[in-house]
Amino acid sequence: MVIVKRKTLTLAERLYLPEILRGLSITFRKMFQPKVTRQYPEEPLPTNEVTRGQPRLRELTEGHLACVSCGLCEAACPAYAITIDGQETDRFIEREPERFEIDMLRCILCGFCEEACPKEAIFMSTELELAGFTRESFKYGIDKLKRSTEELAPRMEYIKRINERW
Amino acid sequence: MTKIIVNGREVEADPQKPLIAACHDHGEHVPHYCYHPGLSAVGSCRICQVEVKQGEMPARVVAACRTPIAEGMVVNTDSEGAHDSRRECLEFLLKNHPLDCPICDKAGECSLQDYSFQEAQAEGRSSEPRRKLEKRKDLGDVILLDQERCILCSRCVRFMDEVPKSPQLCISGRGSHSVVETWQDAPLTGNYQGNLADVCPVGALTLKDFRFQARVWNLTRVPSTCSECSRGCSITAEVLRDGEVKRMRPRPNENVNGYWMCDHGRFSEGELNRSDRMAPAALRDDAGQLTAADPGDALRVIQNLLSVQSQALLLASPYLTVEEGEAFSQLARSLGRQASFFSPEPNDLRDDVLHTGDPCPNRRGLQEAGLTPMSSDEWAAASAAADCILLVGERLLDMLGDEALAGLPATQRLVVMECRASDHPAVDVAIGVPNRVERSGTWINVDGAAGAIRAARPAPQGVRTIVDLLADLTTTSGQPEEALSS
Ligand code: SF4
Ligand code: SF4
Ligand code: SF4
Ligand code: SF4
Ligand code: FES
Repeated sequence: MVIVKRKTLTLAERLYLPEILRGLSITFRKMFQPKVTRQYPEEPLPTNEVTRGQPRLRELTEGHLACVSCGLCEAACPAYAITIDGQETDRFIEREPERFEIDMLRCILCGFCEEACPKEAIFMSTELELAGFTRESFKYGIDKLKRSTEELAPRMEYIKRINERW
Repeated sequence: MTKIIVNGREVEADPQKPLIAACHDHGEHVPHYCYHPGLSAVGSCRICQVEVKQGEMPARVVAACRTPIAEGMVVNTDSEGAHDSRRECLEFLLKNHPLDCPICDKAGECSLQDYSFQEAQAEGRSSEPRRKLEKRKDLGDVILLDQERCILCSRCVRFMDEVPKSPQLCISGRGSHSVVETWQDAPLTGNYQGNLADVCPVGALTLKDFRFQARVWNLTRVPSTCSECSRGCSITAEVLRDGEVKRMRPRPNENVNGYWMCDHGRFSEGELNRSDRMAPAALRDDAGQLTAADPGDALRVIQNLLSVQSQALLLASPYLTVEEGEAFSQLARSLGRQASFFSPEPNDLRDDVLHTGDPCPNRRGLQEAGLTPMSSDEWAAASAAADCILLVGERLLDMLGDEALAGLPATQRLVVMECRASDHPAVDVAIGVPNRVERSGTWINVDGAAGAIRAARPAPQGVRTIVDLLADLTTTSGQPEEALSS
């Protein structure tokens, strides 16, 4: 059994008003200091190349994905979030994904897919927001995943830099 | 048997076979490209080197696939010298090898990948450009050749020479200009081309049918038996994500098929992947439409039919397993009728290699289970005389043909237990059954060897096994109707 000892209040505390004034003094002091609260949806979070947001596929300037559907990210993904089916192309690189699906509800933003990719085709973007009305809508296909090389360029640079360090 | 010492262990080796076979038989893996247990050994790739000490001579590194067994040999598969030679050999193989693994269909089951990893050959030392060759060379309907990936082991050439005995491939050119080719680029022919993709240790020869269909590590592999002829080759059925059968490959079995299977069987997965499956149960309603029904109700209707109609014809598909054949025989006995299985005409695929030309994979098994074969002429006579027909098993409707059903008298009742959906107007009751990758059982091949089929994926929702369905019909058929409805 736990016995909680009640503290006996001092006279000043029992008088009530001094304590109220002490509390309000803190409130008034803080009113003139810089604000730290962020108005989140209107005021987005700051991001940079280190931000590990949702994975996105890189589209090359020729209009197709850099991904060759090798399936390494699918194999590396600890959350089993990725599903890929390949198909033949008529380009020199013979293979491309027919279906590339990431279940964003499963994705834990770990970045293993980015690390596994031998083709610089999947990168962690700065996109962090995720909302939808049905579970199905969180299964992102190629159309929702592809981003231009420029958009992903800062992250690509950063990854190259840390890879050289190893 | 000869006694040799492999990695410090004394083992019995077959003197008829090369040293590499003895090592493999006793669980010591020796890398190999050109050696294949089903083909003659040529010793051209040199990856299989092991250290051998014989008598008083100093230990030397030899190619295990070309070294005969000798009494008292001391073999070390793991010596420094052997690893060095393998590494050098790999370096030459990789010198001109394209960096194709991410798009190569062989990745994941490629010997070049495996041994490079195993022998720690991680980085190349040359910076010269790699050899440029044809990457999509068409070798007929089955096989695509990527000449850049070829390591010139000549397994494919020897396979064509030795197994189907139809030499069509050769290695032409000399030195680094050598490539695998057919004479004047003629397409390959024959019923055994698919095996080329299996014998090729790298991704040079690949199946067109399987091209970019799946990454091999995503496939669930289940041992099974081929259904397309009475040889019943042992195979592995490979299923992607519990769904489509993506590939069927031979499984080594000395007694039946060796290491091979024919293309006719290999590419028979289309039937297994069809989406128009029969519903678990359907009955013809008052409006004359075949509509989904409660499986229990449908079974009761069949029981009533069988107990009322005295001239029932019980016909099974030739794909029924021994176990299902037994259950079918039992049902027939309880009704006092004779069970038969449909025996299609032999086809013209018979050859001296494997194919028997008889499309019934379980002819012997079904006959032993007490079923009699029924040819299509016999079927025509028997079906006209029967007042009720029970057809059980996959592909039976296709074998009989729609016309055969259309000719049946209108008063006759037709019960069908099939895999593929049918809305043929003659069908009164339809029950869906699992196909051969969704159920387990045994087939007996033409020589009496048993071949197991194994469920590689779940059957469609609500579909029960044929044995269960037939057992339910047997326990209650012949009883009066009151007993059934209570
Ligand atoms: S970030 Fe991690 S969890 Fe998400 S898709 Fe990539 S590997 Fe999978
Ligand atoms: S690892 Fe890269 S190239 Fe391979 S499938 Fe994933 S995104 Fe595509
Ligand atoms: S043959 Fe093997 S090593 Fe060569 S590209 Fe294909 S998987 Fe890679
Ligand atoms: S194609 Fe394959 S089996 Fe034929 S020689 Fe080349 S690597 Fe060997
Ligand atoms: S496997 Fe022995 S030399 Fe090729």
